[in-house]
Amino acid sequence: MSALRADARIALEIARKDAVGELRGRHAIVSTLFFSAVLLLLFGFALGPDSARLAAAAPGLLWLAVVFAGMLAVSRLHLLETDDDALEQLALYPISRRAIYAGKALAGLAVMLLLGLLVLAAVGILFAVDVGAAWLPLVATVVLGAIGIAAVGTFYAGVTVRLRAREVMLPLLMLPVLAPLLLAAVKATAAALAGDPFGDLGAWLQLLVAFDVIMVVAGAATYGYLLED
Amino acid sequence: MTDAGYVIAAYGVIVGGLALYTLSLWRRLRAVQRADDEGR
Amino acid sequence: MKTRILGFVALAAVAVMLVVALFVVPADLNQGDAQRIMYPHVASAWLGYLSFGVTALAGILWLWKRDLRFDAVAVAGAEIGVMFTAFAIWGGMMWGRPIWGVFWQWEDPRLTTTALLLALYVGYLLFRRLTDDPERRATRAAIVGIVAAVDIPIVHFSVEWWRGLHQTATIGSPDRVLNPAAPMVFVGTLLGTLAAFMLAWLYFMIRRYQLARAELGREEQVRRERIEAARAPHPAASPTEVAR
Repeated sequence: MSALRADARIALEIARKDAVGELRGRHAIVSTLFFSAVLLLLFGFALGPDSARLAAAAPGLLWLAVVFAGMLAVSRLHLLETDDDALEQLALYPISRRAIYAGKALAGLAVMLLLGLLVLAAVGILFAVDVGAAWLPLVATVVLGAIGIAAVGTFYAGVTVRLRAREVMLPLLMLPVLAPLLLAAVKATAAALAGDPFGDLGAWLQLLVAFDVIMVVAGAATYGYLLED
Repeated sequence: MTDAGYVIAAYGVIVGGLALYTLSLWRRLRAVQRADDEGR
Repeated sequence: MKTRILGFVALAAVAVMLVVALFVVPADLNQGDAQRIMYPHVASAWLGYLSFGVTALAGILWLWKRDLRFDAVAVAGAEIGVMFTAFAIWGGMMWGRPIWGVFWQWEDPRLTTTALLLALYVGYLLFRRLTDDPERRATRAAIVGIVAAVDIPIVHFSVEWWRGLHQTATIGSPDRVLNPAAPMVFVGTLLGTLAAFMLAWLYFMIRRYQLARAELGREEQVRRERIEAARAPHPAASPTEVAR
């Protein structure tokens, strides 16, 4: 079996273990989802009650909610490890560091996809935007955004996992890096909802793809150094 | 504020900042050297 | 000693360029005296980018060579970069108020990109402080610095596109002074300011590097003293203990 295939198998195993761990501890996922719903409500109170203004702001609010709730979700996936120094044990096995990163990021992606799609639906309901009409580009945007957040979030969660002041360091480090993703995802969402009047939906999606590729590569390449700690 | 005011504010902070940073570096370098001397 | 000379030369250069930028070079026809802010603003922005490039490169070299001197360079670059980037943002705001009428303009890609740059490296510096072990700190900082550096071109690109959709003609763009058609005296003043600031930058980098190495040495010494204190028999042992 080639090394790459072995790596992929290990990554999937880790992903499965983490994702199952999260799903079984349903409490965490439910709390994260509920947190995003509360965020959307608060956005409504902050920017409303004018429906037109909220509908115009909907793409931005969607992605703010996904990013903030997503940060909580990815930091949890690394918490599972610290409790019994499992991360160190994991590092002792002769498996590729990249596989460990991929596994964790995949588990994060599963959570982010669930979160993103549910928030999309919620935004459609709460801010009266028609997400059904342009569902395909919207789902594509959510998928691409989820990949980026999972890749970046997994990296920074790993970086901050054993630090004091972890709760504030993770957002502080992650959010500036996510700015381009936020920008592109919001623009893509807005374009999709409006029927792509300027024809720039494709360009924003491409930017998201580029962001995802670059961040996955950078994260995978450097994550290994963390495990040497 | 006139344009001149903004120019002064800009240059003042930048030049002042450079001066303060220089002082800060000197002070910190002296502090480490002093600690070294005491430690020995 | 050589560094001290560099420091004096830098000081003289900066002083000369200050006089030139403020009093000698003529004001811009459209922007008036406010345009003078562009000289230190652009120079600071460039030096900010240079500093962060140094930090990222130093991080890579640490991961490769495992020599802590590279980490000393990295922290110097980050701290000095944060300073110059803050200057650039301040300059941009002081220029913006008279020219645009507002301190902040979301459509200006340079300003928003520079603000993100500041956020990235302030985060880097705060992150560094959370680890005490020099080697671990260097490794963690290196990877955070690398990912931050990788993000910068993406930020640039995306913010430019973002701005491009808003086709508002701003009466003045900070970039005008860089326009190839700009009068030579403006370009000359800009380059002169950049050169003077760069001398100061070099002086700061050397001194900050020295400080970082001195602090590393101090940390090492403190650690050694603690280990020895823990190993050595307690000098103030009570008579009852000694008797046992």
